[in-house]
Amino acid sequence: MIEIALALIQGVLAAGVRAGTPILYAMLGEIVSERAGVVNLGTDGAMLMGACFGFITMAHTQDPFLSLLAAALAGAGISLIHAFMVVTLRANQIASGLALTFLSLGITSFIGRPYVKRAIDGIAQWSVPVLSKIPFLGPILFRHDILVYGAYLCALLIWFFLFYTRGGLVLRAVGENSSVAFAMGIRVRRVQYLAVAFGGICAGLAGAYLSLAYTRTWVEGMTNGRGIIAVALVIFSAWHPFWGAIGAILFGTTFAFQLQLQARGMTLSPYFLDMLPYLFTLFALLMGAKMRRHEMPEGIKKVFEEVG
Amino acid sequence: MKNWSLAVTARMILAGAVLGALLPAIPCRADAQVKENFKVGFIYVGPKDDFGYNYEHDQGRIYLEKNLAGIEVITAENIPETAEVERVMEQMIQKGAKLIFATSYGYLDSAINVGRRHPDIVLVHAGGFKFSPNVGTYWRYIYNPMYLSGLAAGKVTKTNILGFVAAHPIPQTLQNINALTYGARSVNPKVTMRVIYTGEWCNPAKAAEAANTLAELGADVLSQHQDCPRPVVETAAKRGIYTVGYHSGDLQRFNEKGWITGADWKWGTLYVQITKDVMEGHKEKWVNRHDRGGLETGQIDIAPFGSAAPKETQTAVLKKKKEIIDGKYVVFQGPMQDNKGVVRIKEGEKPSFEFIETMNWYTEGVVGDVPK
Amino acid sequence: MAGAAFFLLGLFLLFFGHNPLRAFMEILQGSLGSSYGRSEVLVRAIPLMLCAAATAIPARVGLLNVGGEGQLHFGALAATWGALTFSALPGHLLIPLLVVLGILGGALAGLVPALLRTGFGANETITTLLLNYVITLIVEYMVRGPWKDPTAFNWPYTPEFTGAARLSFYGTTRVHAGLWFALIGLLLFYFVLERTRIGYEIRVMRDNPEAARRAGIPIVRYILLTMCVGGAFAGLAGMAEVSAIQGRLRPGISAGFGYTGFLVSWLALHHPAGIVLMALLFGVISVGGDMIQISLNLPYATVNILMALIFFIVLGSGFLRKPSLESL
Repeated sequence: MIEIALALIQGVLAAGVRAGTPILYAMLGEIVSERAGVVNLGTDGAMLMGACFGFITMAHTQDPFLSLLAAALAGAGISLIHAFMVVTLRANQIASGLALTFLSLGITSFIGRPYVKRAIDGIAQWSVPVLSKIPFLGPILFRHDILVYGAYLCALLIWFFLFYTRGGLVLRAVGENSSVAFAMGIRVRRVQYLAVAFGGICAGLAGAYLSLAYTRTWVEGMTNGRGIIAVALVIFSAWHPFWGAIGAILFGTTFAFQLQLQARGMTLSPYFLDMLPYLFTLFALLMGAKMRRHEMPEGIKKVFEEVG
Repeated sequence: MKNWSLAVTARMILAGAVLGALLPAIPCRADAQVKENFKVGFIYVGPKDDFGYNYEHDQGRIYLEKNLAGIEVITAENIPETAEVERVMEQMIQKGAKLIFATSYGYLDSAINVGRRHPDIVLVHAGGFKFSPNVGTYWRYIYNPMYLSGLAAGKVTKTNILGFVAAHPIPQTLQNINALTYGARSVNPKVTMRVIYTGEWCNPAKAAEAANTLAELGADVLSQHQDCPRPVVETAAKRGIYTVGYHSGDLQRFNEKGWITGADWKWGTLYVQITKDVMEGHKEKWVNRHDRGGLETGQIDIAPFGSAAPKETQTAVLKKKKEIIDGKYVVFQGPMQDNKGVVRIKEGEKPSFEFIETMNWYTEGVVGDVPK
Repeated sequence: MAGAAFFLLGLFLLFFGHNPLRAFMEILQGSLGSSYGRSEVLVRAIPLMLCAAATAIPARVGLLNVGGEGQLHFGALAATWGALTFSALPGHLLIPLLVVLGILGGALAGLVPALLRTGFGANETITTLLLNYVITLIVEYMVRGPWKDPTAFNWPYTPEFTGAARLSFYGTTRVHAGLWFALIGLLLFYFVLERTRIGYEIRVMRDNPEAARRAGIPIVRYILLTMCVGGAFAGLAGMAEVSAIQGRLRPGISAGFGYTGFLVSWLALHHPAGIVLMALLFGVISVGGDMIQISLNLPYATVNILMALIFFIVLGSGFLRKPSLESL
């Protein structure tokens, strides 16, 4: 009995790490963007752009590095439109982000159409030599595609950047109080553009993971709302990469949970259990909104809470 | 501000209405050419490049265009199974289509409705259970090649665990699962089958995750009933395990090393037959009835064998295939029990149309219950 | 402005080797060039108008409701329950019941994110988006489980509604009474907004939040009210779709009406009259979009690009920017 339970937990956690990776990438980008004061609901769109263009590049070149680059650039490119709308034109951030997602959906459906049938090699899996043999934890953390490791590495790097470098300090200053930052001589607009572009790069990579490593296919609309989930979980994460990683893994486990149960012969309605990831995200959002409000960068407080 | 938006939109709609009313008057060069051609419409629920269900119908369409003269085909893909498809059918009829292939299950009611409004048009529907004076259904029992694939899979598997990534617990899926399992167990009684339902016809991330889950549980042969089967095949390739294809033998290229065989549609000849008959005024062969058939029609088949299927297995499978075609063996003939021990077909009984089309149980060897 | 969007789309199409003029002509011809097409534009416009109102009403107090999709489905769920449970009732009793259920269902679906907003401070854009997924999954579950048609061989839909539960069509078209729901609803919206005290207070909330606070305008109450009423409109759209068009509940009753309605509302600047016109315009684009797929082999997604471009251009042109000192 204990063995079965342990095996289930192990399976679920490993799947959680795997499934949470695209969310984590997107979250990290969004954390940076929001820390600079820009909310980007177009993250989902940027993920689609990354998935699509990454796949197209892979189909033509079979070169993983180029494909990831293409994905990152595509995500950044589309996010720059958002940056322009929001930073320069001062348009409504939420509306612009949503418009971006619609636009990306349309563009990628159109451009990606001839590529639905293409085959690609995909990105390799790599088990970390010694660490993957650790009992129980090994397979959970260390037997994945290299992009998975990349995500957690990114989380570390971004944590370091945000809290231990001058650049991170500048970024956070812009997000907390842009007028003061401006008065101090910081080029607020440039910082925000860069932050949004970085968010786009991360979202692009998230999408690339989906199409190049996880499924190795391209189908229109394949992100299924993961971008929105990422933005919601950013609130839960208190804009901190560590909690971001936890949130991503938790999300991944809710996603994989019902599949794991089914495979072991426990039959529950798949549709019911499919709600779990979204309900989890809602719950996390509520917890985050209530408990983390004091951590919210001032600059985005009004984006989320403006009424009237 | 508000007035601007109103004014512009009002002007645009006016312009559009005027143009729209005038347009039919403008003679279109293209129309003149194709007035003699017999127009046929195809409607797909998903993309035609998915290497799955829609892909194979489209391959049938390509075959039709190549092998029958005097026709012109119009297609529409990604049409959801809602009342939207009625509009697409009407638009095709407006463009002159006289025969429409409604290839997805959920199109049935719309086909019948549209058929009622246009009694001179013929609509044929894939897999439905209702017909009307100008609507007929067609289907081939693809669980037969799945059974044959099971024979091969049972021989090839080393862990004796098979995995199936299904979408919804509908009879066609259960037929496939049961046929595959039964076939495998008939050559290897130790085989068990595990099933995961993704709840969607095409959600690549979920399908891939399901495939991963099954593989982690020890399944070394994966099969599926998804509209887009690629993610499952790709995952099998990634993990170095075997694949039994479904919908299309063209999936082989996504897992060359692990490809055993699979079930393949070959709609082409059927589509040529139907179109020809309707063109020549013999539509009664295809409307107001259900057209069914198995391996003997040649419109379903096992996919080409891959490197994973050893020579003796291939011969055994081909032998059994001949038996089925000759009528000496029927898949789902008695005796058969479900996985709870209830007898579903008695010794000597042959399955009826009803029995097959309402299947809602698992055969022995499948782990779990059919979700409600 | 919309012209610029068309122009951009034209460039986009040209880049990929398609003839944009033919595409536009096909869109117009497919939608307005025949009486069937014109009636279908109306059929399309009905749910768009209702879902646009679902966005417009909360937008009037600054809330961004993207949950039209979910609220529509919840209204459809409620109406379906009514149609299946009370199938013995005659039409003149059953239809009004279904209308009420649709309204209540949608209102409930709008209330939840509103409560989450007032209680937890959770941003309604995100919660409504998430709830969209949850509610459509509830529909999937119900049509495959408890409400499944026993004669449908395990395929996912409810039994067909009785004739009494169906909103009838006008003539040979598929235009149905939902049209009146939409038009009357929008008229009421206009009336309340412009001619009543509630509308006045709502407008003050938008234009001058400080003054509103000082004047004691009950902001929380209006958040809840507008989300409920908005949701109710979308729920009505759901009821109309299952009662008139579909005749049963199944997955996929909505072709993204919630999201398109959101766009329609923004482009109409959340004004009821604009909503009617924009919904018609989008109806033309949608119906025409099917046509270009058939004739020109362009993917339907092409019209998504058009719609999104229009949205971007309107957004960027500043008509929707709020001038304020704090927004930096």
